Amino acid sequence: MGIYRKQIEIVGDILYAAEELTIDQEGASITKLIQKANISHTRISKILSNLVSQGLLEQVDSKRACKYKISMSGKDFLREYKTFSEFTDNFGLTI
Amino acid sequence: MEFLLENILNLIGFIIGIIIGVFAYVGYKNTGSPVLFRLTLAFVAIGIGFGIIWCGYMIDDLYLQEGKINRGLQALGLGIQTIGYFFIAFSHTIKSFFPKSRYFRSVGILPLFALSAMNIEHIIRSFSFILLVYGAIETFVSFLEGKQKGALAVGTGLALLAFGEFIAWYSLVFPESVLYSVSILLKISGLISLFLPISRLPLRKIKFDDLDDDEDMKFDDLDDGKFGR
Repeated sequence: MGIYRKQIEIVGDILYAAEELTIDQEGASITKLIQKANISHTRISKILSNLVSQGLLEQVDSKRACKYKISMSGKDFLREYKTFSEFTDNFGLTI
Repeated sequence: MEFLLENILNLIGFIIGIIIGVFAYVGYKNTGSPVLFRLTLAFVAIGIGFGIIWCGYMIDDLYLQEGKINRGLQALGLGIQTIGYFFIAFSHTIKSFFPKSRYFRSVGILPLFALSAMNIEHIIRSFSFILLVYGAIETFVSFLEGKQKGALAVGTGLALLAFGEFIAWYSLVFPESVLYSVSILLKISGLISLFLPISRLPLRKIKFDDLDDDEDMKFDDLDDGKFGR
């Protein structure tokens, strides 16, 4: 039986994917984010616009398609997320 | 001797409970995770519970000098601690649906019958024992699944606290024995074991979010409640 991810885990996975894929200033394409974070296109569009409005991701205008890169506050959030994820793991719980 | 040990236990419990509670609260503020909110309630309650009992002992030591704590104060402290243990168990219950755990039900109900004639303090202790055993079992199960050393330490801590409560019952049967002192030492070891994995996390780097409450990130309203808990 599959295990559903919580909303915050999905956000964490997207930010993690964005951080991993933001090699240069161009950012990561939606397709790459979908593959890396394992999420459908319908869902990710909604979450991405929310993350951009919260300032965790930055939208980069590219010639071909819209790309996203992780912002400084996104990196801060991701660091906090990892710390507290480990904290809840210690109690046998998921964040 | 017991008086001193009780003082040390309750002071350690108060400090560790509040530290872990504040840490969980910082996590809740920064991530909005309901699990961290429940852990905040759990450890703040545990810390306050220990703190109340510690205050009771200190009041007796400094002013009343009767050599025993006020029973009402002790019951209040134990009750608040039990609420804390409840929230730890409750978080596990949400994660792995309670009725599946037949082992817990068979083990957990027994002490309630065994102590049905005892006073309220011991009934509260029996609840604490049940909740701690459940929390320990679930944490050990998580350790077996994920092999996280931290989970092993926390599971051991909860198990030692539960065993301490269990031994404390036996001290009712043998009141003049060393059992009560042993139970206190077990509980101190349990609290230290609980704190070990937390102490490895980068406490100093964490700060409260600068945003106001209205500006806090709210991810729960993003989608249908399928992923939320």
